[in-house]
Amino acid sequence: MAEETGQTPVPFRGGGFQPGARRWAPWAAFAAIIAGWQLASSTGLLPPLIMPSPYEVVLALGHLAASGDLTEHVGASLSRIAWGWSIGTLAGLGVGFAMGIWSLARSAGIPVVAALFPIPKIALLPLLILWLGIDEAPKIATIALGVFFPTVIGTYSAVDNVPRSLIRMAQSFNLPNPAIVWKVILPGAMPGILAAFRITSSIALILLVAAEMIGAEFGIGSFILAAGNLMQTDQLVAGVVLLSILGLTISFVLGRVEAWLLNWR
Amino acid sequence: MNNKKLVVAALAGLICVALAGPARAADKIVICALTFVSSSPLFIAADKGYYADEGLEPEFKFFRAAQPVALGVASGDCDFGVTGLTAGFYNLAGKGALKIIGAQSRVEPGFDFVAYMASNKAYDAGLTSVEAYPGKSVGMTQVGSTFHYMMGRLAEKRGFALADVTLKPMQSVPNMIAAVKSGQVDSILMVAHIAKALDGAGAAKIIGWVHQETPWQLGALFTSTWNVTERREMVEKFIAAYRRAATDYHAAFNQLDKDGKRTFGEAADALIPILMNYVGPKPTPAKIKAGAPFIDPDGRLRVQDIYDQVAWHKANGLVDDSVDPSAFIDLSFVDGHYDVPGN
Repeated sequence: MAEETGQTPVPFRGGGFQPGARRWAPWAAFAAIIAGWQLASSTGLLPPLIMPSPYEVVLALGHLAASGDLTEHVGASLSRIAWGWSIGTLAGLGVGFAMGIWSLARSAGIPVVAALFPIPKIALLPLLILWLGIDEAPKIATIALGVFFPTVIGTYSAVDNVPRSLIRMAQSFNLPNPAIVWKVILPGAMPGILAAFRITSSIALILLVAAEMIGAEFGIGSFILAAGNLMQTDQLVAGVVLLSILGLTISFVLGRVEAWLLNWR
Repeated sequence: MNNKKLVVAALAGLICVALAGPARAADKIVICALTFVSSSPLFIAADKGYYADEGLEPEFKFFRAAQPVALGVASGDCDFGVTGLTAGFYNLAGKGALKIIGAQSRVEPGFDFVAYMASNKAYDAGLTSVEAYPGKSVGMTQVGSTFHYMMGRLAEKRGFALADVTLKPMQSVPNMIAAVKSGQVDSILMVAHIAKALDGAGAAKIIGWVHQETPWQLGALFTSTWNVTERREMVEKFIAAYRRAATDYHAAFNQLDKDGKRTFGEAADALIPILMNYVGPKPTPAKIKAGAPFIDPDGRLRVQDIYDQVAWHKANGLVDDSVDPSAFIDLSFVDGHYDVPGN
């Protein structure tokens, strides 16, 4: 029939490729991982020498909370992250916008960023100690440095992606340059900048352990290091779980900030 | 065809002989250690052929930190290890994979091995003796390290709380040296050859020696629990070679003259070139003499001291309560251990 009329009926092929939200899925994924892990530990498949069981990790966390050290560790780390991330982000936003707007800043900045970004911040630790001592300053600086470069790159790429037509239109309405930056470029670049925030907040958490290697009495990073040195693997994993929870919390907060800042879309 | 088969059979036979030959000739053992003078008996035994005399074929693996040595033995990658006794070691031993079978270095009266040092700034401000520690900051490598323990024992002996000093983990010895030189910490504990060099260069001041305050069993020789149960004969052979070498070391480096000062005679001069091949980095005869600890000639442990160490670490929350020293010390390989606790 179809051949006769020369028309082939085409089934609707759209749909899919649109990941939505399943509220139960994240909980189920975590539950499955933890249940599998506990099962392996309980059956002896995973000896305690190699990996502590989730139950032991929870016990270690409970112990930490009961001793009152938990708040001290988390508090010390949160303040370092807050300072380091804020300083790195503010500086990175400033430099990134400059590189996104002015040719000279961009031409000079890109090679410098490319040269300095890949330096492992841990390698700079002895220098940071010489310059800044062993108190809070080098710890904050380590995190700030790690956050700075990805913020710069994320910001100037985001500025690049602001549609030029919008900028030209603003110019044709005779808006002054500062107003264009504030009203067109900043909101236009915001999605890219927020994506950079997601990356830099994780980098800040990763660098926490490195930052707290030197002279830290309290902090999640120093707690993890000490647990590793003491071969207390249950506490080591408990510290890692704390970092994960912190990461989840920050990711959740950023999601909220994103929804609020980008509701114009 | 037949010829080919014959050749194959002959080759297979040859390979079998080649594989079986050395296995019958010597037991292969892997020894893991740090390149410190405190590991000396291991090196002496290798150089003088004591392992070979026992039918052992040693292979050395060197590490830069004590922890990997203990982990290597626990995982079965190493047969024997010697390191300082840390809280991390005890926690690992408490999991049942390790057995202490003999002694390594001991902090013994008269033998400079670890010094209390003050930064120049702190020294000028009054940190001239160990009584002045309360209120000062002390750099150490890591939480639960031997430095941490020695500071804790000093606090006990001198009657101040360990919480009265601020302990700063610096992760490595070079970081500790940098921090005391620049005055960012008031004090560090440091091994003798580095401490004497720092003091001599005017970079920091030695204000006392650990052996004057709290002598203790600093290091031990250990093997895996599996070796003790499954390859006992091999462990006994190893101990025999180790003790011969420790006796040589004793004659060379453990000597005091009648005034209680250390003397190094011809025996030391004969051993130093051997040790220079193993000890790093950039060894000199003077550094080896300065860094040589007291090592028991027979591998005898101060057993009660190990129990005391575990108890101290437990009291300070550094070792798990479930760790039981009697479960990971095997006294059957060496006769005449000191201070064995009664049952």
